This record gives sequence, C-alpha cells and structure tokens, in this order.
Amino acid sequence: MTAGITDLSKTAPPDSLVTEVCVIGSGCGGATAARLLAEAGHEVVVLEEGRDLVGPERTQRDAEMYDQLYMDRGGRASHDMSVSVLQGRVLGGGGVINTCDVVPIPEGVLHHWQSKYGLEDFSPAQFKRFEEAALGDLSASRIPESLVNEANNKLRQGAEALGFRGEVMVHNRVGCRGLGTCLIGCPIHAKRNPRMVALPRAIDAGARVFTRARAVKITKATEEMKQITVRTLDPRGYHEQRELHVRAKIVIVAANAIASPQLLLRSGIGNAHVGKNLMLQPQLPVIGLFDDRIAAFDGVPQSYAVTEFEEEDHAEHGLWGYRIEGIMGTPGIVSSLLPFSGAPGMAGMAQYDRMAPSLLLVPDAPSGRVEVARDGRLTIRYEQRSDHQERLRDAVENAAKVYLEAGAREVLVPTLPALTIRSAKEAKQARKLTFAPATAPLISAHQQGTVRFAPSERDGGADLDGQVYGTKDVYVFDSSGYPTSASSHTMTPIISSSRMLTTKLLTRI
Amino acid sequence: MSEKEGLFGFLSRRRFLKAGLVAGGAILGVGGGGLLVLRGRAPEVEGLLVLDAHEYRTLQSLVEVMLPKTDAIPVDAAPMDLPRAFDRFLADEPEQNVKDLQKALVLIEFGPLVFDKKATTFSRLDPAERSAHWDAWAVSDSLLRRQVSLAMRKFFNLVYFDHEEVWPFIGYPGPSMKRLGKLTP
Repeated sequence: MTAGITDLSKTAPPDSLVTEVCVIGSGCGGATAARLLAEAGHEVVVLEEGRDLVGPERTQRDAEMYDQLYMDRGGRASHDMSVSVLQGRVLGGGGVINTCDVVPIPEGVLHHWQSKYGLEDFSPAQFKRFEEAALGDLSASRIPESLVNEANNKLRQGAEALGFRGEVMVHNRVGCRGLGTCLIGCPIHAKRNPRMVALPRAIDAGARVFTRARAVKITKATEEMKQITVRTLDPRGYHEQRELHVRAKIVIVAANAIASPQLLLRSGIGNAHVGKNLMLQPQLPVIGLFDDRIAAFDGVPQSYAVTEFEEEDHAEHGLWGYRIEGIMGTPGIVSSLLPFSGAPGMAGMAQYDRMAPSLLLVPDAPSGRVEVARDGRLTIRYEQRSDHQERLRDAVENAAKVYLEAGAREVLVPTLPALTIRSAKEAKQARKLTFAPATAPLISAHQQGTVRFAPSERDGGADLDGQVYGTKDVYVFDSSGYPTSASSHTMTPIISSSRMLTTKLLTRI
Repeated sequence: MSEKEGLFGFLSRRRFLKAGLVAGGAILGVGGGGLLVLRGRAPEVEGLLVLDAHEYRTLQSLVEVMLPKTDAIPVDAAPMDLPRAFDRFLADEPEQNVKDLQKALVLIEFGPLVFDKKATTFSRLDPAERSAHWDAWAVSDSLLRRQVSLAMRKFFNLVYFDHEEVWPFIGYPGPSMKRLGKLTP
C-alpha cells in the first residue's frame, strides 16, 4: 500500500505489513513523530483507532459527534464515575476536539522536572527550540478581539473589576469564523491541528496512515522486530472485524495517557510504573446566569482565562493553583452536565442562551492508575485528593464572585445538590462542596503521567529518550511521560516533547 | 471481550451482587411469582434490537419523569422515542455493558420495592411519586444509585436536547454552518 490514508473498515488490509517505524496514535504526539521520521526518510506506518472525519461530516450535532469523535462514544469515565474522561478517537486525536488553547510548559515546571525528577533534557534552554517549532506547527497567535464572545467578555469584565489577572488566550486557529463547536470538531478546518499540519506532511513524505485500526498487543517477533497485533473496526468503530499484524523495528506508542499504558499492560511490557501516577486534572464547570441573552454558543468558546490564582513554580508540585476559563458547548452536552431532572431540568436549560459558563481548571498531583483486566476491560482508577478539592472550592468561590461582579443574576454550581450563589457572601457556601463521586460533573481533558519519564528504572516507566524500560525500541511519546502536570492545556507540550524525543531518536537510527 | 468502560462501565458485577442482596431481601418478601404480578404485562414493542418490552416500558416511564413537557419547554419527548434510541445505542455496546445495563433497568423498575418498601414498580407509580422516587436516586447515599441516575441523565439529556424541536425554547438557533451558509477558512 502506498502513502496516504487507508480506512481499514472499507479496504481489506493485507494480513501483514512490515515497516521500519510503527506509530500508534495519530494525535499530537504520534502525528508529530510520524512527520519528522517520514521527512527524514524513514518508513512509517501510523495506526489510528478512529476514522478520518472531515469537513461537512462534522455535523455540529451532539449525539453523532460525541459518538464518533470521542473515546467510548463520549462516555468514558473513572471507575466510580467521579470524573468524565474526554479523549479523542479520530484521525488527528485530541487536537480535533479541543478548544485550541496554546499553553506551553511553563519554565517553572521545566525547572521543577529538572530538579526534582532529573529530566535534564527538559531544561528551558534545551527545550525552547522544540517549543518554538511546535508554536510554528500550530500557527500560534493571540485570539483576536473580534472572536472573544460575550460569555468570555463577562468573565473578563468581572475579573478586571475585581483586579484579578487574566488574559485573552493564544490559539491555533487560522481563518476561524467563530462557529462555536470546537468541542465536536471544526467543519471548516480552522484548527491547525495534527490532522491539518503534521499528518499531511507525514503522508507527503511517504507515511502510510491506517484508520479504524486498533492496536491491541505488541510482542517480540525477532531480536530486532516487534509485532503489533491490530484489529480492524467496522465503519462506525463499534465492533472488531479482522486481525492483521504489523512488524516494525521501532514502535512509538502515542495513544494518550490512558490508551498508551493500556496497550503496554495488555502486552505485558514495561515495569511496575506503567499505568501508575495518573493525573486527570479534573475541571468543574460553573455557570453565570444573566438576564440578557449571552449566546455563548457563538464565537470561540474558550478565549479568556483568569490566571490570577495559577502558580507555575510551586516547590512541591510545579504547576498548581487553578485557572478559570470560559467555555461553552452545544445543547446536548451542556444539558448532560446539569444536575437536574424533570421540571427543574427543563427550567435550567430554558436559560441556555443566557448562560456564561466557565471551567475551573485545577492541576492535580498523581492519584490514579490505569488497569487492564484479563478480559481486556479497562479501568481508570482515580481518587480526587483533598488538596484538589480544597483548591476547587476556592475556585468556585472566586468564579462566582467574578460572574456576580460582571452582572450575573446568579451563579449555578452544577453539583448534586445544586448550589446557587446570588451574592459574594453566598459564595462562601462553596466551602461545603464535597465532590462525592457521581455528584459533580468533573471533566478530564488533560490526562498525564502513566508511563513517567525518569533517568532510572527505579523511578519511572520510560527513560529520557521515551524508551520503555525493559524494551528495545518501544517508545512512549505522549503525555504519559510527564511526572507532574505539564500545563493547563497539553496540546503544545505534547507536540514540543514529541519533537524533542523524535529529534533524539533520529540521531540514533 | 470489552475494550472499553463506556457510559455504563461502572456497573460492576460486584456492585450488582451487593445491590442484589438488598433487592433479594425485598423480593423474598414478595416471592418470585409475586414479582411478575407486581410488574404486570408490558405492551409489545416492534423492532427492538436489545431491550425487551418490560425494559422498554421502564425507560418510557423514566423519560416521562426526566424530560416532561413543561411551560418552559413544551416539547413532548414521547414522539422522539428516546427508549428506542437507547436500544440502538446498546446494540453497539460491548456485551458486558449491555448485561449490566439491563440489570440496572431491573433495579430501576423494582426500585420502589427495594428502596422504599412499596409493593409496586417504577412504571406503576403515579407521575408525581415516580418523579420523587427518581429524584432520590440522584442524591442517594448509595453510589450505585447515583451512578445509574447520572448515566441515564447524561444519555437522555444529550439525545433530547440534540432534537431541533427543543431549540427554539432554549434560544439556540441551531448549528452555525446551517445559519451562516457554506464557509471556508
């Protein structure tokens, strides 16, 4: 098969493929690696479980898009359902369904990784050139004022009135028309994501990309070669169809911080660190309710961030504190996050066009793990730490003050029972929130840390080249490697670190 | 073999065993035959892929209390046939998820007996009682009941509010591409 994209639900694959490099996952980490390797003249095969869903196929409709663009049809959650785990399952990965926030790894975090975890290659001086290249890949620029919608402006107005530091965010959109459905894919391809940048260049350089191709196991084929067992899926991606084998000298796993350790664990690869140290960075929505129409569903959904409470160089944890960032979704997803049923639910959604929601983005320390049962069933275990809950309560209180200052009639915290805040004094009620499992709509969009990079096998699952300990030429090039939270948004960190790790790999092959 | 957890992956066998013990105690008081009498006959439903008529009726009863026609949003969910959408969803879920979910539907249907010690079923409760009973699931001390409540809310809310008939009442003008016409970057 020649360079290009082949949908294995429609095209019968050969029983086996042989390549020099097999990249598993087509998101920020995998696509970047595939591109650099292919451009350097290496033979590359990319495997992606999702399909290539482009242009008008991105219908801006909730049910269909969450089903087709997200892992487990949008329903993935931690073991006790305390955190909804959002991950892309589409060619291009998370970059297709994110809100385009370009937030590099803060220098404080890089220093922290160096001093506490021995990640020498991640020194700001060494890392900078890879980060600059990543920013170039993303065509990063400040979101223009014309695309900051009313909901984000309310957040800004309130923050400025209270003297809180904040900023219009940097993004990776070019030609954005403010269609508002970033979370379920941009129909006009305004996102400069891996689907639009790295993958086309990888293909131009000869890479072969297979979609609806689920990698289920990596085994040793010969001294030099690994064998990846792949199951093809039906066109909707629900059912496995047939099996093929890909043989490769080098395997790069970049399937995200859940699926990468899942694959390694299923394969019996790696040491005891694999799957551990999971960070979900859970976020909680809060909603400012206004008397006037806000129409937050139009324009860029996430364009302003209150950064007053964020710490980038916490001595113990690196990135800490929290951010408050505007957000909005289509009606289906917003309603699914509200805590009401029956008439109260209807009354709540009747205010949809007057909502100005935000997400409270609170970095966490490792407190979870990925497990795979003998029957292949995945479990994402996660316990929300008390320090995370405490910062989240503080974030709720301050977000409520911000919206009230901006003129909100009330602020809804969509927990069970729901908390409604109508004054700065009432904001203190946030102190009583418990976040018991299945009572708060916590969302994870930035999973990290399950195959931690470390200079010694004693301290992590992969070495500083990303090579999984106990293997030869099996690498992890995604956010699994981060020892602590890299950033409030992981797209730029993953592209940057994948660039660095791939560049190092190229010096050895 | 299941690759995934999914919306209903939390419904573990161990949990159901535990819930089953509670249910078993209540059910013993009524007796197996008594349960069938309690549940009654459900009308036949054509074309279901996974669910049976009883499960379908439980979901109909659930949708009635979760998504009622109100002054705020006077759109009847019945013509949308959301239980059938759920049936289609299940048809493509891993086998274990389907089995677990069917157990959850049994637990919902016999919830009034199991949790409230009332000799009736969910579908037979009058709407006000059913609504109050279902609301209690969301804030229950039982994690399993909260999880079932959350999963149902997520699914049915998402599908209901994805229907165009609802949008005028929430101020949503619909997908921007349709409004703005053909666009290119």
